[in-house]
Amino acid sequence: MTAPLIYVESCPVCGDGLCRIRVCITDQRLNGCVLCDECEAVWTDPSLQERVSRKPDADDPQCPGCGQSLWSKNAHWANIGEVCLLGWYDRVRVVSAKEG
Amino acid sequence: MATKPRSESAVNALRMIPTKWAVILLGILIVYVVLQPRLNQWFGWNLPSVASMVGDEKPAKATNKKGESTKNETSRNDTAKPTKKGNDVEPDLEKESNPETASSKKKPAEKTKTAEEADEEREQPISTLGKSQNNNPSQPTKTATKPKNESDESDPLYGFLTEVGRNRYESPAGLVYGPGSEEGHRLKHIARHLEDQPDRPGSHGVFKGSMKAFLTTIDEGYARAKKGAKGTTKKEDDGLVVYEITFEKAIGFIGGEAGGRKKNPATKKLRLVVRGSNVITAFPF
Ligand SMILES: [Zn+2]
Ligand SMILES: [Zn+2]
Repeated sequence: MTAPLIYVESCPVCGDGLCRIRVCITDQRLNGCVLCDECEAVWTDPSLQERVSRKPDADDPQCPGCGQSLWSKNAHWANIGEVCLLGWYDRVRVVSAKEG
Repeated sequence: MATKPRSESAVNALRMIPTKWAVILLGILIVYVVLQPRLNQWFGWNLPSVASMVGDEKPAKATNKKGESTKNETSRNDTAKPTKKGNDVEPDLEKESNPETASSKKKPAEKTKTAEEADEEREQPISTLGKSQNNNPSQPTKTATKPKNESDESDPLYGFLTEVGRNRYESPAGLVYGPGSEEGHRLKHIARHLEDQPDRPGSHGVFKGSMKAFLTTIDEGYARAKKGAKGTTKKEDDGLVVYEITFEKAIGFIGGEAGGRKKNPATKKLRLVVRGSNVITAFPF
C-alpha cells in the first residue's frame, strides 16, 4: 500500500513544489508545519500566511516547534491521522495512491 | 424415455402417506435437489444427489458438470456481477485451486513513488545518481543537442563539478550542490527532474537530456541571471533567491498531472532556487 499524498496546494514560492504537512515528534509532542517538497519553504500552518525563516547557516529547513532539521529522522510527512490531530484535515487535499 | 423403476417406487411410497405430508416432503425434496450441488460446491461437502440416493442411476451427472466448471464461474453466474472478472474465465484448473490468484493478478502495482522509496533514495550513495536518466518513452525524443558521454555520466561529478568539501560540489559558475533535501543531496533532488511524475498533482518540470546537460544548462542560466541578462529575472523571498531564465530552445517539458492535462508542452524556461550560492532546486517550468 502506498501512502496517500497529502498537500495544501502548489507552492507559491517555486511553483513546482507541493506544500505538504511535515511533522516532527520531539519529547512525545507532535509538531506540525507546512513544507514545500521542492524549494523547502516552511509555513507555520496550512493558511500559508506565516513563513518560517531559516537560520542563514542551516542546510536544512527547520521545524518551527523545536528547531530540528525537517529532514531529520524525527520528522516525516504527516499521515492522515496526524493531520487530523493537528486539526488540519479540512485544509488539505488527499491524493490516494493509484491502483490499476 | 429411460425407465426409472426406483423413482416410480418412490412415487408409490408417496401415495401411501397423507397428501399434506406428501406435498411437504415433495417441497423438501425439490429444495434439496436444487441446493445439493451448490452446497457441495460452496462448502466442499459431499451430499449425495437425490438420484444416487433413490437409485443407481449415474449419480449426479448434472452435479458433476457443475462441479467441473470452476468455482469462480459458478459464483460469477450466480451473482452476475458486471465486472472485468468475466475476462478471467478460463478453463484453467490451476486457477481453481487458487481463486485468489485471478483477482490479485488484476492489480498491477502502478509505479508511483512512495515515501518509503524516497527515503531509500535518500540513503543511496551519490555515485548512483548519474544512472537515473530521462528514459520516459512516452515523450518525443529530440535527440542530443548535447552528446551523452557515458564516462561522464557514471562519474559522480559528471566531469563537470569540483569537490569543495565533504559531499559539496561546485560548478564552474560557482553554484554549490551539497547535502540536503528529502533525497539527502541536492544532486539527487534535482535528478528528480530528469523524469516525469505523471501522477503528481500540479506541474512537474522535466529536463530533457542527461544529468550533465542539466547541470550545464543550470550553470549557463545562473551565469546569465547573475548578470541580469535579457530573458532572466531574479526574485528574493526570505533568504531564497528564485531565478527564472528563458533559453533560446526548449530545454524540457511540463510534466506532472497538470502538464499531462496540457499534453506536456515543451518549455524554454528554467527556474533556479538558491540560498546564497547553494542550489536548493532547479527545474524547467
Ligand atoms: Zn516551493
Ligand atoms: Zn520539531
